[in-house]
Amino acid sequence: MASKILSVDDSRTIRMIVTRAFKSYDATICEAGNGEEGLTVAAREMPDVIILDVTMPVMDGVTMLTKLKENPLLKSIPVIMLTAESGRENVLHIAKLGVRDYLVKPFKEEQLIEKVSRVIQLVKKAT
Amino acid sequence: MNETVHNMNIREFMTRHLVEVFETMLSMKAIPIDPFEPPHYDSRVSGSVGFAGDDINGAVYLHLSASFATRIAATMLGLAPEQIEGETDVNDVVGEVSNMLAGGLKSAFCDTGYPCAVSTPAIIRGTSFIVEPIPEVEQIRLLFGCENERIFVEVHLKSN
Repeated sequence: MASKILSVDDSRTIRMIVTRAFKSYDATICEAGNGEEGLTVAAREMPDVIILDVTMPVMDGVTMLTKLKENPLLKSIPVIMLTAESGRENVLHIAKLGVRDYLVKPFKEEQLIEKVSRVIQLVKKAT
Repeated sequence: MNETVHNMNIREFMTRHLVEVFETMLSMKAIPIDPFEPPHYDSRVSGSVGFAGDDINGAVYLHLSASFATRIAATMLGLAPEQIEGETDVNDVVGEVSNMLAGGLKSAFCDTGYPCAVSTPAIIRGTSFIVEPIPEVEQIRLLFGCENERIFVEVHLKSN
C-alpha cells in the first residue's frame, strides 16, 4: 500500500519539490496551502506523515501543529517541520511542540527523503 | 546601528547564505562581485520579506532580471523555461528564495539575542524602480554574478 504524505506549505514551489522528491517511491502526496487547509486534509486523508512549513498565511505551521496535537484522532501523525529558520530558539520551540524532525531550507531532495524515511517506510516503485 | 548587530557582519553572513541557497536549491554558483555596481535590468522581478522585532526591524530584497527569474523558476520546478507560463510560478519561486534568505537572517538575529518574526514574501515587478530606505535605516547592498546574470540583494535594517 502506498505511503501517504501531506505537504503543507503556502509555496507551490515547495509542494512541487516535495512531490518531485517522492516520485520514484510508492507514495501519494496530498497538498494544502496553509495550516487550516492542512488540518482539513489531514482529517480526511489520515496521512502517514506531514511535512509542515512554519510561516504561512491564514494559519501558520506552529498553530496547525498545536491543533493537530490537541486532536485525539490526528495527534499520532508524525510531523516533520520544514522551515527557513534555523535559529536555536526556533528549533527548541518547535521541538517542544512534538515534531518528529525538522529540515531547514535550503535543502536537497535527498535530505528530505532521508528525513521522511526515518519516520515511514518508503518503498521504491517497481521499474 | 546597535553594536552587537553591527558585529554580526550581516554582509558576510548574507553573502555566504545566498551562495548556499543558490547552490543547494538551484545547483547554481553565485559569485560575489565587489565593488558593488548598481545592476541594470530591462525588466525586473523583486522579492521582499520583512522582519520585525522589539529591537530590530527591516526587510530583505532580492532583485533579478525577469528572464533570470524565469530560468530560476524553471530550474527549481524541474521544468523547461518555455514551460513556465504567466507570472504565478516565477513569483512563487522568487518569493520562496527571498523567504529562505530572510529566514536565515532572522535565525542569525534570534541567535544573537534579537528575536523577530518574518512576513510572508511580496513580489514587485517593474522596469525601473529603486527601493529607498527611510532615514536611520542602514542599507546593505550585495551583488552577485550567476550564469551571466546579476543577483542584487538589499538588506534594510533599523535597530530600535
